[in-house]
Amino acid sequence: MLLQLLSYLALVVFAVGILTRVVKYLRMPLHVRWELYPIPHEKGREYGGSYFEEVNWWEKPKEKSFIGQIKFMVPEILFVRGLYHDNRKLWWASFPFHFGIYLVIGWLVLLLIGAILNIAGLSPESAPATFLQSFAVIFGAVGFVLGVAGCIGLLMFRIFDSDLRSFAAPKDYFNLVFILSIFLTGLIAWSSSDPSFIIFRDYIKGVITFSPVTIESSLVLAHIILLSLFLMYLPFTHMTHFFAKYFMWDKVRWDDERNLRGSAMEAKVKQVLNYRQNWSAPHIKPGKTWAETATEEVE
Amino acid sequence: MKAEKINPKDISRPSEQMVELNPADFMKLPYPYDKGEDEPAFKRLKEDQKKKYETSLDGVLAVGIPRPATKGEEDELVRKFLSGLEKLLTKENNWTFLQPLTLSLEYCAKCQTCNDACPIYISSGKKDIYRPTYRSEVLRMIANKYLKKSGKLLAKFTGNDIELNWTTVAKLAELAYRCTLCRRCAQTCPIGVDNGLITHELRKIFSQEMGIAPGEIHTLGSVQHLKKGSSTGLMPVALKDTLEFLEDDIKERTGLDIKFPLDKEGADILLIHNAGEYLSWPENPMAFAIIFEAAGLNWTLSTDLLGYDAVNYGLWYDDVQFARVAVRHAQIAKKLGVKKIVIGECGHAHKAISVIADRIINEEINIPRESSMTLLEDLVCSGKLNLDPKKNAFPVTLHDPCNMVRLMGVVEPQRKIIRKICPQFREMEPHGVRNYCCGGGSGFAIMSSMNFPNWRSSVSGRMKFKQILEAFQDVIDPSIKKMVCAPCSNCKGALREIFNYYNAWEKCGISYTGLVELIVNAMVDIKEPYIEWPIM
Ligand code: SF4
Ligand code: SF4
Repeated sequence: MLLQLLSYLALVVFAVGILTRVVKYLRMPLHVRWELYPIPHEKGREYGGSYFEEVNWWEKPKEKSFIGQIKFMVPEILFVRGLYHDNRKLWWASFPFHFGIYLVIGWLVLLLIGAILNIAGLSPESAPATFLQSFAVIFGAVGFVLGVAGCIGLLMFRIFDSDLRSFAAPKDYFNLVFILSIFLTGLIAWSSSDPSFIIFRDYIKGVITFSPVTIESSLVLAHIILLSLFLMYLPFTHMTHFFAKYFMWDKVRWDDERNLRGSAMEAKVKQVLNYRQNWSAPHIKPGKTWAETATEEVE
Repeated sequence: MKAEKINPKDISRPSEQMVELNPADFMKLPYPYDKGEDEPAFKRLKEDQKKKYETSLDGVLAVGIPRPATKGEEDELVRKFLSGLEKLLTKENNWTFLQPLTLSLEYCAKCQTCNDACPIYISSGKKDIYRPTYRSEVLRMIANKYLKKSGKLLAKFTGNDIELNWTTVAKLAELAYRCTLCRRCAQTCPIGVDNGLITHELRKIFSQEMGIAPGEIHTLGSVQHLKKGSSTGLMPVALKDTLEFLEDDIKERTGLDIKFPLDKEGADILLIHNAGEYLSWPENPMAFAIIFEAAGLNWTLSTDLLGYDAVNYGLWYDDVQFARVAVRHAQIAKKLGVKKIVIGECGHAHKAISVIADRIINEEINIPRESSMTLLEDLVCSGKLNLDPKKNAFPVTLHDPCNMVRLMGVVEPQRKIIRKICPQFREMEPHGVRNYCCGGGSGFAIMSSMNFPNWRSSVSGRMKFKQILEAFQDVIDPSIKKMVCAPCSNCKGALREIFNYYNAWEKCGISYTGLVELIVNAMVDIKEPYIEWPIM
């Protein structure tokens, strides 16, 4: 039961940690525009153009291309496309690393579905359940192999590439070794003690139903402990970029929302202009609002 | 190959000079500069300059901070730096960039992908201190160690064990002016981190909290702009004289009787140029007048303080100065009752008033702003002007001003015009949103203290020069006159310096101009060639 408690704790810390971070970014005030082209939702302007290319643009409706955005995002997320173009050698490690993570997440989801179906009464020996489980095996095994390869690759870069090494901190090595240990224990557990991931699935079932499960395999045990610890650590690291990217891209890089007369944006701008700044260089009078600061007579 | 790697922590170590710049290490240029013989010697600082100023970064001075006289003074400056950094992370003091800055500080994976995108780092022969990540990492480390709870406790493990002392702050001040804010690095970051932005914010600590900025940008720049009406020092009375003189010049060159419409209330368009044009390249505002009159537009210039100078240097270093100038521009347009402001050929003025100021000039002063590129495309491509491309029978390439292109998305209008009127047009590689900065971005074009111009032409502008030479390799013989079209005053200023530095006209026959000059040069009704070679 101790193991399960750790897993519950991990899930709670993970959720609260991530949520706190999301709320922190969400509560930040409006910022000035700072976009970077190309912006994929600019319809018909894949070369990087914007609505500023139109005469009297403010008189025209803004057309956002959802498809353009999807077309950009899918290969970016799945295949780490940016890195493929701009840093190919690192991509050879980064891509398996990330794809390995996606597959392992997929593995967990498949096990979760299997566990739920099992609880709902579907026999683990039934055809649909075995079919599902064989999928889980593919996702898990391939995911672990890719993950291990990616981690080792990334570690090699950090250690042997002098450009990376001169910026590396103990933390960076620690993170990679930590993740490697998760992939590695998963891989060995699968190959040595749980070839069809039945133990893992039953553990998840135990977690859902709050019923104790005894795990014989020390490798499976190690994997579950490491993964739980990692979930608790993750929200406090830069590895949360998986969701922060939404803010960095959608809310900064691609934020070209215009301030039209009478718009909601206008009201938001009015609000931020009323913040009081407190800068102390000689040309600024602290304590005034931004609106006052911008319009006061300057000496 | 490079000797020892410089890591971010090294910045705190007192040293006479962190790196030595040697043109032999710089990126190689194409023919006819490939032998390196025509590389001018790098100007070293004089002994008295070294004594007086903080020169410990790279022996170049952009800001030129006088050495503090006492330890007490140093400590006070360090304290102020930290208080500035702290303010940068609060919403009241920095709502303008809080979210982008926080994200960029929190998420760098230190993969160094962005390094190869940076023209300065590459041109310098890969000097570590010019990596896009270098100054960012130093600032990040200081913020993490000195402003976070338990920051000091975990510093070793997190790698934030940097020492914040005066030498760090002094070097950071100079380092903040070794980046043109072109944001090419940000474009390649797989995470979305923006090192250009971090440089921008670093400059703000120095300016908004410590009162430290290059004189050309602050005292002679935005302060003079707000006081006298223009950062060039051009006052309204002098402007009117200049314009009268230009009217005579138009008459002489083209035979046309054109009067600049001044302060015309209710005009459709308020056209604002970078006032540097009136002094350095008057043929540009003249050409605008010729085109606008030929197209029958209802337009005006303003002679109000600031109304005739579109620059906004605050964009590069100070949000307060930025907001002040932006609001003045908008108020003038409001007073005149125009339908829109059209920005002349100035890249940073484009982005300043269209993009950044969009969330500052609000409510009744929110007058629409339009790029002159867009308007000109409409005039040229709709056939409102009678043009003959054969009049531009020389090789032309187009420079993309970062602020107008990568940072604002005005990419095609200027190309459509050039394709129409310049039959020998060829692109540089890469171009459009992937272009390289002219080397004069973020204020560099106007900064001329001590040996900084030397650094600008040989390091920050080097990649652009390389691209230009490559674009013209097939016609590189100096007897063939070639033109670089740069629709931006600052870019023109930077190109002028590079071309002089490398004698590009004598050696290769390369000159530069704006876009409207090429349009007027192609106008059928104007008999004499409008463009004069070379433009110096
Ligand atoms: S800024 Fe981006 S590209 Fe550069 S090192 Fe950091 S994560 Fe990598
Ligand atoms: S903004 Fe441009 S000059 Fe500055 S670091 Fe990035 S690429 Fe280099």
